[in-house]
Amino acid sequence: MKILPILAALAFSAIPAAAQELPDLGGRTITAVTENAYVPLNFADPQTGEGIGFEYDLFNEIAARLNATVDWQLASWDVMIQAVRDGQYDVGMDGITINDEREEQIDFSDPYLTSEQLMLVRADEERFTNAESFAADEDLLVGAQAGTTNFYVAVYEVLDGDEANPRIKLFETFGTSVQALASGDVDTVLMDKTSAEGYIGANPGAFKVIGEPLGTEQFGFIFTPDSDLVEPVNAALAQIRQDGTLAELEQKWFYEYNAAQ
Amino acid sequence: MTPAPSLSPPRKTRREVPYWLLAMGLLFVLGLWLIVADEGYTSIFRALSSGVITTLWVTFVAFMLATLLGLLIAIMRTSGVKLLREVATFYVELIRGIPILVFLFYVAFVAAPAIVAGINWALTPVIGAGLIEPLTVRAFDFVWRAIVALTVCYSAFIAEIFRAGIEAVDRGQIEAARALGLSRWHTFRFIIFPQALRTILPPLGNDFVSMIKDTALVSALGVQDITQLGKVYSSGTFKFFETYNVVAFLYLTMTISLSLLVRLLERYMARRSR
Repeated sequence: MKILPILAALAFSAIPAAAQELPDLGGRTITAVTENAYVPLNFADPQTGEGIGFEYDLFNEIAARLNATVDWQLASWDVMIQAVRDGQYDVGMDGITINDEREEQIDFSDPYLTSEQLMLVRADEERFTNAESFAADEDLLVGAQAGTTNFYVAVYEVLDGDEANPRIKLFETFGTSVQALASGDVDTVLMDKTSAEGYIGANPGAFKVIGEPLGTEQFGFIFTPDSDLVEPVNAALAQIRQDGTLAELEQKWFYEYNAAQ
Repeated sequence: MTPAPSLSPPRKTRREVPYWLLAMGLLFVLGLWLIVADEGYTSIFRALSSGVITTLWVTFVAFMLATLLGLLIAIMRTSGVKLLREVATFYVELIRGIPILVFLFYVAFVAAPAIVAGINWALTPVIGAGLIEPLTVRAFDFVWRAIVALTVCYSAFIAEIFRAGIEAVDRGQIEAARALGLSRWHTFRFIIFPQALRTILPPLGNDFVSMIKDTALVSALGVQDITQLGKVYSSGTFKFFETYNVVAFLYLTMTISLSLLVRLLERYMARRSR
């Protein structure tokens, strides 16, 4: 039977060159952590309670290509970086902005997403129409979660770069800052397109979006310092980006998924 | 004990209609009706119900452990040995002065790794011989760290309840028991404890009820209790208001029914002691 090796060779050559270069983790289990409180990156399916989202799909795909399985765990955002740093989890993800301060605590992967933030305002808002006119009026307040993307974009792209600016009101969760927007405690909250549509859909007539997308915050996976997973994950990520899978996932979660259902 | 002589004839205890309870019952029925009839509320309830088990589990385990630890501390605080008294007082004052949330983070990220390192150090010979693997912080999950934190925090308060109960027992009885030749342990077991229990049980029950509420703090670690599931559900569906209505409903159902039980217990104890 000479035909078998030939078939095998044909099949092998059909695999893109990059696939052959990916490291094989030999069925290793990677303990990954997220919170399930960040639509559409990681959240609980309202029907089943199961964790779904862009980051779940992306990391499962990365693990599959590296011949690894993922053991998904949950922790709150407040304690995630510390827990990954302590080695309780191998990798963490929660739309974590890559920055220098965090780089000192944990290792980052290459960025997998550049976030675009929109300004959500009350539906009857007429005092400002974009980031510039918001910044110009000293009376206007923005709600944010400390240490999150919407906080950094509010500081560096909307306001004056002062992280202690009193015009930023800090809240414990995303949901609380939106409630504060609804009740008039703050005048805008920054969020990505999917979340904005979700809130507009769930509260008909309460909110609208104004201005242009803001921000160039980049999200990365975080790893326990000196983790041997950084390189394989980066390699798999590069391949996923190259073959269009990453774009497909973005399409699926940021444009096709309707959070307001 | 003979009741104190009263000048006026005993007043007939007229049972007042507990309107507050009727109002509470009405609120409960309203909540239940919403959950059954409104599809949105039904799905919120379904999403949060697994958190009820986590909340109750954390409450029960932490409360049992806190009661045992609290009893030990109280015995130390009332003991005749000065060192024990000082150590126990130090513990109670230290723990009572720290907010539970702060203590929770402390246990999770300072104490837990230290405990794991300590166990590994203690087991060095066994680990060195290759008999067992060294422990990792992973072996000590967030649920247990939360239970440890709640146990320690509540043990300080419960110790004070026990101490008050023990000290309320008449000194003369203790002296009499000792004079009759009962050992220290037997005096505690048969004379002090049964009487102290009567003073202890009602406040202990109240602490149990307040622990149910305080377990909401464990959501800060991401433990999947009612509060954390509420946070997760509301952020996934953007239904903030409705979700927290159900969260409050679930906590109220547990706390009110338990404090009613505590009241019944109090009444029963009062009748028995007459």
